[in-house]
Amino acid sequence: MTTFSSSAVMDSPLASRRRWYTILRWTARLWRWEGKEPVLLFGLLLLAWQAGTALFTPAANSLFPSPLRTAAALWDSLPELWTGTYFSFLILLPGYLAAVVTGVVTGLVTATTGWLRRAFFPFARVAAPIPPTVYIPYAIAILPTFRLSAIFVVFIGAFWPIFQNAAAGALAVEGKYRDNARVLGLSHFEYLWKIVFPASLPHIFSGMAVGLAFSFILLTVAELFGANAGLGRFVQYYADFADYPRMLAGILYTGLVTFLSMSLLEQIRKRALFWMR
Amino acid sequence: MSTTVLAIDAVSFSYNGVVVLDDIHMGVREGEFLCLLGPSGAGKSTLLRLLAGLERPSSGEIRWKEQPITGPGLDRGVVFQDYSLFPWLSVVENVALAVGKANPTLSGRQRRAQARKYLNLVGLADAIGKYPLELSGGMRQRGAIARVLALGSPILLMDEPFGALDTLNRARLQDLLLEVWQSVTPRKTIIFVTHDIDEALYLGDQVAVLGASPGHLIASLHVPFERPRARRGLVVSQTFHQLREEIAETLSVDTLERLTD
Repeated sequence: MTTFSSSAVMDSPLASRRRWYTILRWTARLWRWEGKEPVLLFGLLLLAWQAGTALFTPAANSLFPSPLRTAAALWDSLPELWTGTYFSFLILLPGYLAAVVTGVVTGLVTATTGWLRRAFFPFARVAAPIPPTVYIPYAIAILPTFRLSAIFVVFIGAFWPIFQNAAAGALAVEGKYRDNARVLGLSHFEYLWKIVFPASLPHIFSGMAVGLAFSFILLTVAELFGANAGLGRFVQYYADFADYPRMLAGILYTGLVTFLSMSLLEQIRKRALFWMR
Repeated sequence: MSTTVLAIDAVSFSYNGVVVLDDIHMGVREGEFLCLLGPSGAGKSTLLRLLAGLERPSSGEIRWKEQPITGPGLDRGVVFQDYSLFPWLSVVENVALAVGKANPTLSGRQRRAQARKYLNLVGLADAIGKYPLELSGGMRQRGAIARVLALGSPILLMDEPFGALDTLNRARLQDLLLEVWQSVTPRKTIIFVTHDIDEALYLGDQVAVLGASPGHLIASLHVPFERPRARRGLVVSQTFHQLREEIAETLSVDTLERLTD
């Protein structure tokens, strides 16, 4: 009697779904997929790409090159991509680092100084939302070299998010730290350097991450205008020649460089914020 | 023999239209250990912030050696409940920061050496390079005591410094504080905020009892126990119990009066 009723329950739709779920889960565990879902997804996407190009495009049409052809193009272009990376970083690094230094310093100082805050915050609210790409033609016109103008554009793009986040961080310094600094009799400079700066670091790093992503966008856009080497230039150049395997290789490679740069910044952030919970 | 060095003269404090402290009069003698005792809402932490110079009285005046207190100063060191140390500095760097403020001429190396000395004194020799995050609440407060000692102030203002600690650690730190205080000449003047009657009686020479809404001074009583005090003998003594009952009675009568008003 009992056996009968329980098997009836087991055969209900819900129970059978649960059983399937259990089987799936066990299979996944057997193949040790858990925790490797990104790898799995990546593999599936590659497969879909390969299948898609094999099924839907004739071999002569290279507008949708297969993964294998793209990989071959990537391998062939590695030296060129490597020099491209070098020239791109000659623009990216000076612009971005200048933005980090000036953005953090001016953000912290402005936020902690009453009259500067009153004078500059309204100005920042107006100036910051201007899309930095619109500066590119003018920067190229007024600055003597292409590299300088590209550096300037990267700088402007990265500066505002860093400035705004540093200022927000300085404004968010908790009252307890301010009280502590005051009873210790810290000077304004000591307060900025030893209290406000470290206390704002979580905000500063968010700004630096946004700023870095902006820098890559602006770098590649700027390179479309007038560079003779670089990652954005590489993609544009082979697109002009309809060499889509190489163009696609350039896109993937740029994605990888961006990803690695963001990961590096994340590692630095973890190191710098070790004192946080 | 000892004279009043710190005078709280008709001090009131309002915040956003709410009266927090109402007409406080108090005098503190040099080298005295004064406990500010009261329930939450009695404004004892506010009074300490006024003494520290972190806030200004709405009316009245606080004077240290006849000089009105207008802001924070190195003559008054402060220990907060649980956040005296900066989490991004190691324990020794935290204390060295205070050493540097007290003796600006010292080099970085000398500051750290001094800081180590104070950390030894509070039993934190093994935790010198650690960060506040890695320390227990008790160790953090030891660090805070080391820092305030490093500042070399003649007045120590302590805002429920042991309030967040477990009973055992609290007792240990009370003993440490008394030990350090008694070993230094001239004695530092300590103003210690607590809501724990036993703590006030064990530590203080004088207990100022504050009542709530608005904060006002109910009573000020002298604690007659000789120093050094033995915790065990003290808590079983008749006088201790009498004083304790007296304070509890005063506080509950005051609360009732405020309620019926």
